[in-house]
Amino acid sequence: MDPLSARYPFLSSARDAVRGADVDLTELVAAGDPAVDRGRERVERALVEGTTEPETPDAWDDREELLSYPIARILVSLLDSPAAVEKYAGAEARTAHARFTADAERERREGRARTAGEASASDAVGSADSANATRASPDLDTFLREFDLAGTTRAEEGYGGPVPRWFRLGVGSYLRYVDADWGDGWRLVNRELFDGEVRVEREELYRLLREAVRERVAEGLPFEGVDDAVAADLEAEISDLRDLLADRTARVDVSVVAPEQFPPCLARLLDRARAGEELDAVGRFALLSFLAELGLTAAETTELTGLPADEVAGRFGFLRDESGAQYPAPSCETLGAYGLCENEGNHRAVAPHPLSYYAKRVAETDTVTDWRDRAERTDDGRADA
Amino acid sequence: MNRRTREYLKGRFGDYYRSATVSPPPAANEREWGQIPFTEGDGTTMVRHQSLLDVAGGAGDLDDFLAREAPRHAYFSAARYDDPGNRSMSGKGWRSADLVFDLDADHLPGVDPETAGYGEMLAACKEELLNLLDLLETDFGFREEDLSVVFSGGRGYHVHVRDPAVGELDSAARREVVDYVRAVDLDYDGLVEKRPNERGTLQKTLRAEGGWGRRVHDRLVAYADDLRGMSEEDALAELEELDGVGEKTARTIYGVLERNPDGVRAGNVELGPGAGTLVRALAREVVERDTAPIDEPVTTDLRRLIRLPGSVHGGSGLVVRPLERDAVEAFDPLTDAVPERFRDRQILVDVTDPGPVAVGDDKTKVAEGVQSVREYVGVFLMARGRAEKATE
Repeated sequence: MDPLSARYPFLSSARDAVRGADVDLTELVAAGDPAVDRGRERVERALVEGTTEPETPDAWDDREELLSYPIARILVSLLDSPAAVEKYAGAEARTAHARFTADAERERREGRARTAGEASASDAVGSADSANATRASPDLDTFLREFDLAGTTRAEEGYGGPVPRWFRLGVGSYLRYVDADWGDGWRLVNRELFDGEVRVEREELYRLLREAVRERVAEGLPFEGVDDAVAADLEAEISDLRDLLADRTARVDVSVVAPEQFPPCLARLLDRARAGEELDAVGRFALLSFLAELGLTAAETTELTGLPADEVAGRFGFLRDESGAQYPAPSCETLGAYGLCENEGNHRAVAPHPLSYYAKRVAETDTVTDWRDRAERTDDGRADA
Repeated sequence: MNRRTREYLKGRFGDYYRSATVSPPPAANEREWGQIPFTEGDGTTMVRHQSLLDVAGGAGDLDDFLAREAPRHAYFSAARYDDPGNRSMSGKGWRSADLVFDLDADHLPGVDPETAGYGEMLAACKEELLNLLDLLETDFGFREEDLSVVFSGGRGYHVHVRDPAVGELDSAARREVVDYVRAVDLDYDGLVEKRPNERGTLQKTLRAEGGWGRRVHDRLVAYADDLRGMSEEDALAELEELDGVGEKTARTIYGVLERNPDGVRAGNVELGPGAGTLVRALAREVVERDTAPIDEPVTTDLRRLIRLPGSVHGGSGLVVRPLERDAVEAFDPLTDAVPERFRDRQILVDVTDPGPVAVGDDKTKVAEGVQSVREYVGVFLMARGRAEKATE
């Protein structure tokens, strides 16, 4: 069993390895193979913690790691929820990113140690060897080839060493994976573009690869036609995961809008938006998806937050797409991972999710005037617009 | 446009197509085709959702179709589809799309379409086209064989990019391209970053390896050369022209440029307190000079129909002329896009909207009423609704 396939089970070589391993997933599930437990753990940790890293890495061998991936995909398909797919794909991508980053950094350190140990003349040799320019680290090379980037990525000349600091990436490949929501620094207009190549720093290349992994994992999910027997054997797992998912994607029936009852983390995001401060992509998503779930319209949200109308409208179009599927607001724990929730006042003890927190607070308050019915709304003139 | 005029134009467009060869775009059978026929009324009913088979028949002979139908306007899609003739957009099965740019003389900064003549607007538009081509070639690195430059037959130019590396980009990615070309949301402060020099000291450096930073750097180097060619007095006066640069700041900047000419060449902009002002002023100048005011929706729309190169524009009677790259500079649309076919004869038209006529070598004014004019002048006037055909 190839350790690389166990580490990155979404690679095409891993898919081949599963096929070549001559295992019947139906039998695997029926027999309650350890790979099924690990598959469940993959999805569970993806939903709860945003990673698919095992809790205890030593507990699983390469075979179980590899086979747990198709099992996890079956589980996510049975959950049949856009939120589950998004969280799962995001978590697989984050996990892979952490792994190949660590791999490349180790390579860099070891390479540096090697260079230092050798004759100092070798310093000059490092940068001259641009023939294998993209050779960043074994894992990274695999990724560049896997996502058809090997031909459009090269290390910048003049930067030697085992893992170069700067790369040039074909503009088509760059635009394929970059998301303008990552921040102004990612916008093409602010990049050094020359002769069809965008200059990216090593860590930025890693970030783009993470997006490529996310797309790869999300591709084809959820799939239909899971074998009935498999679905029946996985019933207990699915039931547990559904509960978890429900927790994480709390749907609360609160039709009243009372910003003073918002959990502290969301209240702070709202204040920052109103103060005209730039929110990052996660912050904007958290705030807008929360307000969308309270039933605010795009126009009302624009008024409440002071964010640009076209941006809010665009986001709302995405949050409430035609299929009716909503992207649920993230939990406080997820927000915490992005530094947006610090569990101020231990508010997660009231409820772990902004929506359930808000529902509780509203239920406990005797009189609440909906923000939409308040006179002060016209104070800044926006409500009349 | 009355019936006589309509039939005359349709007949003459047909004659043009019988003598012309229109090269279909690559993968013509994967594209949607559309046309606006010469019909009563204002003639804006488009027949679309057609495959090449639908328009040109089994032999796929486009010239034959154009000669037979003599449409008022002819279009094809920038996109390639599995089933281009499918009636619904979603049923077509989108595969990829050319990256298309549209420059329209109506939307040029500093040109008022009310007062500027047609010729003046088109000349200004060509300057913007050259800016666009420079960005596409130098920054985006598109090769000449992947670029197709076309005079739109009306008020501007189109550029079709057929590089497979960008064919599958979605609308959001194409908007990034538009914003780059127009320098929308350019972070002026971000053009400069602190980088370690060879001694490891952090110094303010222009990000000159590419992008707008490279263009600003080129300008700064040229600007510094200009200053060095002046007397100190003139150079200081030049610097003080910049907003926010006083005498003292100008002296500091001048001093550094004089002492360390190679520093600027290397991107070093440690030029004292006025450095930011200088870089920003030059950046604004470069952005104004080098951007191209392309029409955003045309580039970001993945399913748009574009005018067919080689066809006649029904609103001008001019040819939608594909241009070799090295012919762009010398191209004069008002003469070079006149169909040969319409040059020789004199015809009679009844002018309803008299005044100057922009097309042709002999820039003339026409008076109201029945006039004998060169045919292309008559076609131009009729196509624009300024005249009707008179009986010969």
